[in-house]
Amino acid sequence: MIIPRALILAFYAVFATSGLAQEVDFSHDVLPILRMHCAKCHTNGTYKGGLSIDTREALLQSESVALGEGADSLLVQLLKETEADDRMPQKADPLPSQSTAIIEKWIDEGMAWEEGFTFKESTWVAPLAPRYPIFPPVGSLGSHPIDRFVSAYFTEHKLTPPKPLPDRAFYRRTSLDLLGLLPDPGAVDSFVKETSPDKRRKLISQLLEQSVDYADHWLTFWNDLLRNDYKGTGFIDGGRKQITEWLYNSLLENKPYDLFAEELISPTEASEGFIKGIKWRGNVNASQRREVQFAQNLSQVFLGENMKCASCHDSFINDWKLTDAYGLAAVIAEEPLEIHRCDKPTGQYAKTQFPFPALGEIDAASPKPKRLKQTAALMTSPQNGRFTRTIINRLWQRLLGRGLVEPVDMMSREPWNADLLDFLASHLRDSQYDLKKTIALIISSRTYQSRAVEPHIGPAEDYRFKGPLAKRLTAEQFIDAVWKITGQAPKKVAAKGADKGQRGFVRSSLVHSSYLMRALGRPNREQVVTVRPEDLSTLQALELNNGKEFTELLKHGANHLLDRFPEANSGALVTHIFRHALSRAPSEQERALFASAGTQESVADLLWTVFLLPEFQILH
Amino acid sequence: METRRDFLKQLRRASLAAMAAGSPQLVRGNDVQHPKAKADTCILLWMGGGMAAPDTLDPKHYEPFQVGLPVKDVGSTFPAIDTAVDGIQITEGLEHLAKVMDRGTLIRSHVQPDLGHILHSRHQYHWHTGYVPPQTVAAPHIGAWMSKVLGPRNPAIPAFIDIGQRIEGVGEQEELKAFHTGGFFGTEYGPFLLPYPDQAMNAVRPPEGMTPGRFANRYKFYKDLIAKSPVGTQGSAYQQESMLRAMDNAHRLLSSPERVAFDLSEEPKEIYDKYNTGRFGLGCLLARRLTESGARFIEVTTEYVPFLHWDTHEKGHTTLTRLKQEIDQPIAQLVLDLEARGLLDRTLVVVASEFSRDMIIEGVPGSNARDQASSKVDLLTEMKHYGQHRHFTGGSSVLMFGGGVKRGHLYGDTADERPFIATKDPVSVSDLHATIFHAMGISPETAFDVEARPFYATEDGKGRPHLGVFG
Repeated sequence: MIIPRALILAFYAVFATSGLAQEVDFSHDVLPILRMHCAKCHTNGTYKGGLSIDTREALLQSESVALGEGADSLLVQLLKETEADDRMPQKADPLPSQSTAIIEKWIDEGMAWEEGFTFKESTWVAPLAPRYPIFPPVGSLGSHPIDRFVSAYFTEHKLTPPKPLPDRAFYRRTSLDLLGLLPDPGAVDSFVKETSPDKRRKLISQLLEQSVDYADHWLTFWNDLLRNDYKGTGFIDGGRKQITEWLYNSLLENKPYDLFAEELISPTEASEGFIKGIKWRGNVNASQRREVQFAQNLSQVFLGENMKCASCHDSFINDWKLTDAYGLAAVIAEEPLEIHRCDKPTGQYAKTQFPFPALGEIDAASPKPKRLKQTAALMTSPQNGRFTRTIINRLWQRLLGRGLVEPVDMMSREPWNADLLDFLASHLRDSQYDLKKTIALIISSRTYQSRAVEPHIGPAEDYRFKGPLAKRLTAEQFIDAVWKITGQAPKKVAAKGADKGQRGFVRSSLVHSSYLMRALGRPNREQVVTVRPEDLSTLQALELNNGKEFTELLKHGANHLLDRFPEANSGALVTHIFRHALSRAPSEQERALFASAGTQESVADLLWTVFLLPEFQILH
Repeated sequence: METRRDFLKQLRRASLAAMAAGSPQLVRGNDVQHPKAKADTCILLWMGGGMAAPDTLDPKHYEPFQVGLPVKDVGSTFPAIDTAVDGIQITEGLEHLAKVMDRGTLIRSHVQPDLGHILHSRHQYHWHTGYVPPQTVAAPHIGAWMSKVLGPRNPAIPAFIDIGQRIEGVGEQEELKAFHTGGFFGTEYGPFLLPYPDQAMNAVRPPEGMTPGRFANRYKFYKDLIAKSPVGTQGSAYQQESMLRAMDNAHRLLSSPERVAFDLSEEPKEIYDKYNTGRFGLGCLLARRLTESGARFIEVTTEYVPFLHWDTHEKGHTTLTRLKQEIDQPIAQLVLDLEARGLLDRTLVVVASEFSRDMIIEGVPGSNARDQASSKVDLLTEMKHYGQHRHFTGGSSVLMFGGGVKRGHLYGDTADERPFIATKDPVSVSDLHATIFHAMGISPETAFDVEARPFYATEDGKGRPHLGVFG
């Protein structure tokens, strides 16, 4: 039995022991067993021997279980059968005795089932066309369009809405989400005091007008997505090209998203780096030649579709075929593109085609620049609802911690609220693809302005939206915060083309990655990265505990702060650090803890302690 | 409404790490049977840059240097020597290894694909992850696979430790970073990097300039602050717990008694001196100490730096004379020490490189790969011409000890005459990995769900262990 063993081994550092829980839990104890041993023959349309275990009801109807009497249930007897011919599962090894025991106990305890769970696969077909959903009536969350959809959702699923976010926390979260920057404590205070009912909306517009800060922050998101960096594989020998200047300018001027995509797909010299991909020296697998990279990256970034499997063979996990991937790859090919299946030439040639042919055709006979133009036009066509839904979902994921559709690169999956997704997508199109407007719309909702809730545990199929999730600061947000408070930002921007406008300090998104940044999760940008891991790992924690880079940073930061607070006025210094780092003053108890912070060492330790606090690192 | 307490209760029942965002799960129904583990720890001794088999473990026709000698007449630039095993010869300069040959299996038929333009970083990426770059997702290092599937042996010692490779300030550093990683498993499973073995202790003790007392106080103070913080328990319990757990794990290592394993100065001088041939030798010593303390996977490298060490584009013979001194005694001593401590049976030691080298052939026979030797002559005129200066992918040597491999065994063969290609039992990178995984108790078909597709421990799950190397 592989899964429990691997899990136990892999995580035994976390749990000293993890014996059989006192009470059998359906999702964690039973479901894995059913999935592994029973689902193939008895679920989702295949019901050997007439037995369906799709739902609890179906299983009860089969009369193979007697509630409360595990040992007497036919199901358990069949699992325990010694004659291989009569035993379940058929033509397979018997279940490990521990698994059988779990099933027996589960039936003994009344066969609890996760409400709403079914093995039957969803029949969801993701729509392509944009759609205007009907607005539900105004509900408990208020009249904001997002809140109307979410209120109706909460009512339908009998969920309690999350509590509202207080002003101080709202300011902090919004500033970090929009600009990646800690707020100025004075500004937070005035904001809290202000009585205007309109103050949150005003703050959102005011922050969004800080174009340089906005561009500095969102550069990270787009660099990850468009795999742009300032050095790395391919840059030296011309096998790869930066788009930094183009990208930075586009963010600075809030270029409409349709034009943004168009310039990436049908590029100028400044933006051609994205579709050129990385040219690797030597022979590469046919599925990684530049033309196929083009197909993979376009479909992933703009359509939230995974063509990586289909680049090699017809996909097993979605409906994409090898010919679809090559059809898109052919757009950029200089000559007829021979289809390779699993790296072997097939003798067939790709037929130039957009992944969603319903949107229109690409004229294979036209020259490459024209084909790219046609592709860009189909991608950004007002009829391409997938294009807008995909970016909406990414922004929702960034701002609320989890996508409307998950994973964010599987946009054919069912959203938890299709109406909300479709509304936001149509709104983006109707606002001339202004991403800042979408961001402002989301942030101005009561839904966003809620306290963070706990993440979902259990199968993805059972996910229910309960409110925004807390998010860990990205490497860039963390380093920027530390640099800002310690005055240790570098002097020079390394990202050529991004050195524009006025900024408070040189942000970490604008310089080369360092060991510390990598340790905190800034990726090596050879692949498209759409989501970074959320957890602090042990190795990251080690780096923050005794890494040289961070230690030096704190040492110099302590000197810098002591210069500003020369009286060794530890009270003022502690307050200063707390207010800047945590957007609040220290409590009496906290202040007492730091009573003696006056030397370089004690200030460095104070900084360390505050920067490592979950309160600092997790954006609630 | 769910309370925090309920939630934590639930957390303990679910697996914390399994629910972490972005952490891949085993593919559902990936019903593989893991083989029974023969070893608990794997030590990979990496000869970065391409170790020439004819000048190390696979002697061919030897010709001493002589002005005017046709290069094509030279197979090896070192004479063969006998080993403790009848019928197995290796080359001069590896006398210590020769003496322990009766403890291990020598594979002579390891082969690599010809990637056209031979680049060390691409072949090393391939060797370390099992996948030829570029890949559409970040492939994990084999050490990360062991860390993910098997977990640490001792919670206080990182499961995947990498000794001797600097990845800052050396050539091809971005390429090196690309495979020194946990890949899609995330940094929790990535390498704990110790570029300087004699300074390894620095990685597990308070930062420079901080006394242990101050360091301990700082952490205590941190815990106090969290306890006293008015918002300490607000917001996400899950994220907070997960963060504090990582901090505790880090501090467990930083304050554990086992961390003394990282301190080479604890080693008796006579033992230390046996290993002290340089960074690689001390790396072997560190690997032994960490194995004793419960590491899962350790790589020790002679370090890959373009055109240095095994990456001989000229002066091959002279360079290897020195390199062999660097590796010979420490590897042998590692084997002997593990044996003396009763650990060799449960420790798999693998000596490997990304490919071999040849005097004449670049890639494989018939390859159109560009010849990258620095100075090309048909007849030897200077000593710098004497050595294996082309990258050869048709047959290389791998040495294995412990972990259930046969003792005093020769596996596979290469041709006696050029081209020295594998003629028997060729072992691909996938198959070699499957063999290593087999010893460690991991099925080569183990698959994780990455972006909703299966990603296997060996490419497409197709690596097959060569069971003939096991006793």
